[in-house]
Amino acid sequence: MGAKFVSFCRLFLLIQKNHAKTAFLSKSDAFVNVLMMVVNNFSFIFMWWVIFENKGSINGWSFGEMALLFAVMNNAFAFFALFARGSQTLPEYIGNGSLDNFLTTPRNTLFMISVSESTVANWGDFITGFAMFFLSGYVSWNSFLLMLLSSFCAAIVTYAFRLMVSCLAFWAEDTQRLGDNIFMAFLTFAGQPASIFTGWYKILFLTVIPSGFISLYPVEIIKNFSWSALGWLLLGSFGFLFLSIKVFKFGLRRYTSGNRFGIR
Amino acid sequence: MEKKMTDIIEVNQLVKKFKLRKKSTGIKGLFRPEYRNITAVNKISFNIRKGERVAFIGPNGAGKSTTIKMLSSILYPTSGIARVKGLIPWENRAALSYHIGTVFGQRSQLWYHLPVQDSFALLARIYNINDIAFKRRLAGLVKLFEIRDLLPHPTRSLSLGQRMRCEIVASLLHKPQILFLDEPTIGLDVTAKEIIRNLIKKQALEEDTTLLLTSHDTDDMEKVCERVIIINKGRLIFDDSIAALKKSYLSKKYIEVTTDSGEKIRHVVNTGQKPVKQALDELIRQYHITDITVENPPMEEIIKEIYNRD
Repeated sequence: MGAKFVSFCRLFLLIQKNHAKTAFLSKSDAFVNVLMMVVNNFSFIFMWWVIFENKGSINGWSFGEMALLFAVMNNAFAFFALFARGSQTLPEYIGNGSLDNFLTTPRNTLFMISVSESTVANWGDFITGFAMFFLSGYVSWNSFLLMLLSSFCAAIVTYAFRLMVSCLAFWAEDTQRLGDNIFMAFLTFAGQPASIFTGWYKILFLTVIPSGFISLYPVEIIKNFSWSALGWLLLGSFGFLFLSIKVFKFGLRRYTSGNRFGIR
Repeated sequence: MEKKMTDIIEVNQLVKKFKLRKKSTGIKGLFRPEYRNITAVNKISFNIRKGERVAFIGPNGAGKSTTIKMLSSILYPTSGIARVKGLIPWENRAALSYHIGTVFGQRSQLWYHLPVQDSFALLARIYNINDIAFKRRLAGLVKLFEIRDLLPHPTRSLSLGQRMRCEIVASLLHKPQILFLDEPTIGLDVTAKEIIRNLIKKQALEEDTTLLLTSHDTDDMEKVCERVIIINKGRLIFDDSIAALKKSYLSKKYIEVTTDSGEKIRHVVNTGQKPVKQALDELIRQYHITDITVENPPMEEIIKEIYNRD
């Protein structure tokens, strides 16, 4: 078990090294991409800062809570985009038959698919995430560790939701754009103050579109830690992960492969 | 074919059906789509012994790639059973992958922007090959496939022929006992095809690798393989040695004569209707001949005839 885990970690690190090598073939491009991602994130955050400057608070949320949300959301998306973005490319792999390459290796197929893509620009999300944490006013070692844990759980939910949406390609053709739109809706809802969603909306955003696991519990945990909120976050993130793996395995049985010309 | 103890691939009544959505218009089609079943592989059975080099041929859509994909654990069959190295491919994906190598001519397992040697190092890690074994194995394959100069170059800068040599090396790094090659010479020029064929055969003979090769180029079949399995419309229609294939379907001879004026005349003789000797006598009477060549029809024509008969 130990040797297997070490072998798995070594493979993961080598794949990440290859992604980094590919990304830094043009160092200037890579740095500009990272910088532009930071600028893009902060232009969105600036809009919320203006809203809070004028409104004061929204249902008990001030800019401090919003900054915590952006810290968690950006870090979660960075984890996802840097280390598991292959789940987003899955419909393309299914459509052109390049999923075949992942099925003939001895390693876990889903792991190989997930780590097959990485976008260097998303290092900019990490920069934004950590900057927003320090701007939130909730800075302490405890909060920092809780923010990292919450971001990791939120990354799992992001990954699981994207994987389930991508799995539509096992049942229907050309679902890449549809999947991207559904995923964009998920991210849009995740970037709103959780306090505006109550009642049925809250249930909706913790089930069908689970963006509540990014916006609701993480901020609550960092602000006023409670074991129940942490429990719900862990249950939700790992529950969705389990469900997404089941959906993937079920869909894989329907895979029909393809023969489109192409290269990795 | 009779099952033997040394059979490394066993296929029994294998069937693969695909469900294709019918094109439909209107709201009804959106909510209640209609499907039609396509039988890509229809109850095929065969066995392959260890070390055999088998060509698996058929026209487009015959079911060649589908069969190879089932045997290499990519696709689940609709019914039937197959064992590769004693394992049911679709149930033992990880275990089987250590015994098989796959080369898909239309697809690459190399990283597009990275040097070829980086892709090889990654594959070694994927297959858990330790550093010493990997270096030794790579050195052997690099020498055999003459790719030393290509190692530091990114895949994107290689010609198709160079890339294919690297693809084959990539699929052989973990020393598989069975190599599935799906159209390995597709898109290559005549010289590159010849090089690839020679290398595939040389490697298979040196390491006693079992080959299952699909191709539309009958030269691949003749120059690399000793046995041929032909499928058409998902059904197996021929399974024997290449020599037997030629013998069974050689009902024609091509006679080419050169006259004293330098003109070349080509005659096709159906040996079932007229003996070759009689045809030659007639030609000698008709022309002043300076040279005669009698040839079997090219393999391509034989295959075409088999498809037509089917």
